[in-house]
Amino acid sequence: MIRTPLRPLARILDARAKGENPDLIERENIRRRHDEMQDRARARAEGRLLVLGVFFFCAFSVVGARMGILASSEAQEPMASATGAAIATQRADIIDREGRLLATNFETHSLYAQPPLMVDPVAAAEGLARVFPDLDKERLIRDFTGKRKFIWIKKRISPEQKQAVHDIGDPGLLFGPREMRLYPNGQLAAHILGGAGFGREGVEAAEVIGVAGVEKQFDGYLRDPANGDKPLQLSLDLTVQAAMEQVLYGGMKIMNAKGASAVLMNVHTGEVVAAASLPSFDPNDRPRPPATGFDPSDSPLFNRYVQGVYELGSVFKIFAAAQAVDLGLVNSETVIDTSGPMRIGKFPIGEFNNKNYGKISVADVIVHSSNRGTGRLALQIGSERQQQFLGSLGMFDPTPFEIVEAAGGQPLKPKNWGELSTVTISYGHGLSTSPMHLAGGYAAIANGGQYVSPTILKQKGPQYGPRVMSENAAQQARMMLRKVVTSGTASFGEVPGYAVGGKTGTADKPKPRGGYYEDKVIATFSSIFPANDPKYVLVVTLDEPWIVAYGEKRRTAGWTAVPVAAELIGRVAPLLGLRPQLEPGQGAGYTLTSN
Amino acid sequence: MSYLEYSVKSTPSGLRKILYMNWPLTLLLISVASVGFLMLYSVAGGSFSPWAEPQIKRFAVGLAVMTVVALVPIWFWRNMAVVAYSISLLLLVFVELFGAVGMGAQRWIDLGFMRLQPSELMKITLVMLLAAYYDWLPGKKTSRPLWVLIPVLIILVPTGLVLKQPDLGTAILLLAAGGGLMFLAGVHWAYFAAVIAAGVGLITAVFKSRGTDWQLLKDYQFRRIDTFLDPSSDPLGAGYHITQSKIALGSGGWSGRGFMQGTQSRLNFLPEKHTDFIFTTLAEEFGFIGGFSLLSLYALIIVFCIVTALATRDRFSSLVTMGIALNFFLFFAVNMSMVMGLAPVVGVPLPMVSYGGSAMLVLMVAFGLVHSAHIHRPR
Repeated sequence: MIRTPLRPLARILDARAKGENPDLIERENIRRRHDEMQDRARARAEGRLLVLGVFFFCAFSVVGARMGILASSEAQEPMASATGAAIATQRADIIDREGRLLATNFETHSLYAQPPLMVDPVAAAEGLARVFPDLDKERLIRDFTGKRKFIWIKKRISPEQKQAVHDIGDPGLLFGPREMRLYPNGQLAAHILGGAGFGREGVEAAEVIGVAGVEKQFDGYLRDPANGDKPLQLSLDLTVQAAMEQVLYGGMKIMNAKGASAVLMNVHTGEVVAAASLPSFDPNDRPRPPATGFDPSDSPLFNRYVQGVYELGSVFKIFAAAQAVDLGLVNSETVIDTSGPMRIGKFPIGEFNNKNYGKISVADVIVHSSNRGTGRLALQIGSERQQQFLGSLGMFDPTPFEIVEAAGGQPLKPKNWGELSTVTISYGHGLSTSPMHLAGGYAAIANGGQYVSPTILKQKGPQYGPRVMSENAAQQARMMLRKVVTSGTASFGEVPGYAVGGKTGTADKPKPRGGYYEDKVIATFSSIFPANDPKYVLVVTLDEPWIVAYGEKRRTAGWTAVPVAAELIGRVAPLLGLRPQLEPGQGAGYTLTSN
Repeated sequence: MSYLEYSVKSTPSGLRKILYMNWPLTLLLISVASVGFLMLYSVAGGSFSPWAEPQIKRFAVGLAVMTVVALVPIWFWRNMAVVAYSISLLLLVFVELFGAVGMGAQRWIDLGFMRLQPSELMKITLVMLLAAYYDWLPGKKTSRPLWVLIPVLIILVPTGLVLKQPDLGTAILLLAAGGGLMFLAGVHWAYFAAVIAAGVGLITAVFKSRGTDWQLLKDYQFRRIDTFLDPSSDPLGAGYHITQSKIALGSGGWSGRGFMQGTQSRLNFLPEKHTDFIFTTLAEEFGFIGGFSLLSLYALIIVFCIVTALATRDRFSSLVTMGIALNFFLFFAVNMSMVMGLAPVVGVPLPMVSYGGSAMLVLMVAFGLVHSAHIHRPR
C-alpha cells in the first residue's frame, strides 16, 4: 500500500519558504487519511449490509413461500377436526326400499385425560373408577400423577357415562365427539349391511369406515359429505327380511342344520328383497374373524349365499331341460329313456336310491329328478352349448351383487369340461356356485327367459339383461317346476293360495381331501312363485340338515329345505303384496252356485 | 470526539424535531400494532378485554416513550450505552435471584404497575453497547483477537443468564443479534466461519455418537432433541401446538375464513393463542393474503430502518439502527417459522402484535433510538 507521507518534505520546505505554518499541511493530510479510512470502513460495512440484506430477503422468501404452501394445503385434518357437528352426520344413512332405517349414526363421546390440566388427579382417578368399574384405580392414579400429558381412557362412552364423568368436575378429563355407526335393527340383514369401524382416530373426531357388506362396497358414497343427507336406498324390505330370518332360524333348528341361507329375489328387477345367512351376527358389534385353524365358513361372518360356493345338486337339472327345449331337441312331453346302466368312461351314472324310472317324459325326468334322464339330455345338448348356456346365466363369474363379499364367490368349474363333466354338471355336480348364482338362473326361467343380475339397490323397474332362452322354453320349464311341487320331490312345497314351483337338490358335501361324505348334505330348494306368473324366486339352502320322519333319518331337500321354504313363502308372500289366489285351471271343476 | 458531534449544525432543535421524525416508520408501526389489536380482539371472542384494551393502552404509552427517546440526541444514548447495559445485566442477575416464576421460568420483576422482563431490556441495551463499542474502537483494531473477545463476552454473559431462566428463545435472539452486529461492524469473516464450523462439527459429533460406545448424550436427551426438532413425532405432546397451528393456516387458505371466523384459534385448540401463536389466528381469519400483508409490513419496517442506517454517516447511529432492525427481523422471522413448523418451538412472540408489555415497550424504545438517529443525522 502506498501511503502519502503526512509531512511531504517538498511541500514543507515550500511552505516554510513562503512563511506558512507547515503543521497545517500535516493536519490536512491526517484529515484526508482519516476520511479515506472511513470510506473504506463504510464500503466494507455496506458490503456486510448487502450480505445481511440477501439473508433477509432469503428469509422473507422462505417464510412467504411456506405461508403459501400451508395456505394452499387443503389439510385433510381440518375437515375432520374443524367442527364436531359437521362430521357427526357425515356418513349417509342406509334405508330399506320403504325408507325404513337400516343404518344411521349415533353421537357418543370418547374420554381422555390431560393430567397437566388436572386439579386433583387422585380424586379424578377415584371418580373414574366409580363410574367405570372396569378401570383400575391404582393405575389411573399412577398415570395421572406421572409425566404423561395425554391418556385415552375410553374410546366410546354413553351420554349417561359422559354426564357422570362430567360430574366429577375435573378440567383434565376431556371428551371428544365419537360418531358411531348404529344398526337399529340389530342382527337383521347383518351380512348385507356388514358393519363399520374406526379408521384414523384423533381427539376431536374419528373416521368411520365400512368394513364389510354394503358399508364397505359403498364406503366412498357413504363417506362423501355431499351425500350426508342422501341415504343409500337398498332393495331390501325390512319386514320381509325379519320374517325370513325368523322362519329360517326356526327351520334350521328343526332340521338340525348347522347353517342355512335364503335369498328372495324379484325376477324382473333383480332386486334382492331379503337375504339371510345363518348363523348371523350383530353388525353393531362385529365378532372377530375366526382364528386360523378354524373353518372360516363356520364363522357367523361367513356369508353363505354369496361366499358359499357349493355343488348344489339336482336344482341344476332344470337348466338342462330348459336348454334342451330351447334348442328344440325335445319338448316337455318327449320321452327319454332313463334306464341303466349308463356309463361315461368308467364312471357309472346312477339314480338316487338306485331307482329305475324307465322311459318317462322330460317333465317327469325333472319331477322324479332322474340323473340319467338329465344326463342324456345334456349329452344331446353337448358340452360346448351347455357351457355357453350356463355362462350366459352368469354361473362362471362372481355375482355382480353389490356387497364386497360377493366378489369372493367365484364359482368352481372343472378344469376339463369333458363328456363326464357335461353329464354330472347337468345334475349339479362338478360345478360349484353360490345360492345367489342359482337365484339368478331361476329368475331367468321365471321371467320368461331374460337374464337379470341380482342387485341390492332399489330399482325403478324391470332390468332385463340379454335373452338366454325362448319364452316357450321358459314357459315349459316353469310348468315342469310346478309339477315337481304338485306331484314330485317337493310335495311339501305346496302353499295354499300361492302356486309354488321349484326344484329340489340334495348334494353330498365334499370332504376336504377329496371324495364325498355319506351323511352330510347341502339341501337346496330353489323355487319360484306364483308359478303361473312368477314374481319372485326363493332359494333356501340348509347345511347338513337331518330330520327323523316315519322312523327314518332323512336328509333330502324334499324333507328338509322344502318345508322350510314353504313356510317362508306362506309368511312372506302376503308381505310382498301377493294375494292368495286359485291357480288358473284349478277351479275348472267347481261351479259357483248360490242358494 | 465523533464525527457526528461537529457536523450537526443543521440538526433541528426543540419540538421541531417531531416534524423530522421518520414518519413512514411511525405509520408502519401503528399499522402493525393495529393488526395486533384486531387479532387480540378476535381471539378474545370479539371483546376488548382481557387483551386488546391493555395492549392499546400500552401502545399509547409506548408511542409517547418512543417520542421522548427520539427527541433526545443520539449521542446522549451512545454515552449511556454502558450504563444501560450494566443496569440490564444487574436486573438479569436480580431476576435470577428474586424474580417471579411464571410458566416454569423466572423472567419477571414485578414493578407493581407492570412486570418488567429484563431479558427484553437486554435485547436493546446489548445492541446499544455493541454499537457504542465499535463506534469507539478504531477500525483497524476491529478484527484483532483481543478486541473480538470483549464483544463476545458482552454477548455471552447475558445470554448465559437468560438461558438459565430458562428462556431459550430470547437467548438465541441475543446470540444472533449480537453476532449479527459484530458481522455488520466488520469483524473478519474468518471468525464467523470458525464459529459456524465448530458449531456444525459439534452437532455432527453429538449425532454421530448416537448409538456408539462414546455416546455424548443420554438416550432420553436424544429423544428430547428428536421431539424438539420434529414435533410431528409427538402430535399430542410437544407437537400439539405446531400440528394445530399448521391446520389453522391450512384452513385459512388464501383468503381466510373471515374476521372472527377462525375456528382453530377460537375453539381453544391453540394454547398461547394471544401471545406466541397469534399469527395462526391472523392466518386463519385473513388467510395467506393477511399473513403476507403482515410480513410485508414487517419487511417495510426493516427497509426504513436500513435506509435510516445508510443515511447517517455516524457509526453508532448506523450500527444501532441496523442492530435494531436485525433484532426486529429475528423476532418475527423466528416466530413465523416456529408457527409454520419451519423451526422448533421456542418462546418468541410476534413483535408488536403478540400480547405482552415489556416486549412492546422495549421495541418502542428501540424504534425511538432509530428516530433519534434519523433526526440527529448529519445533513
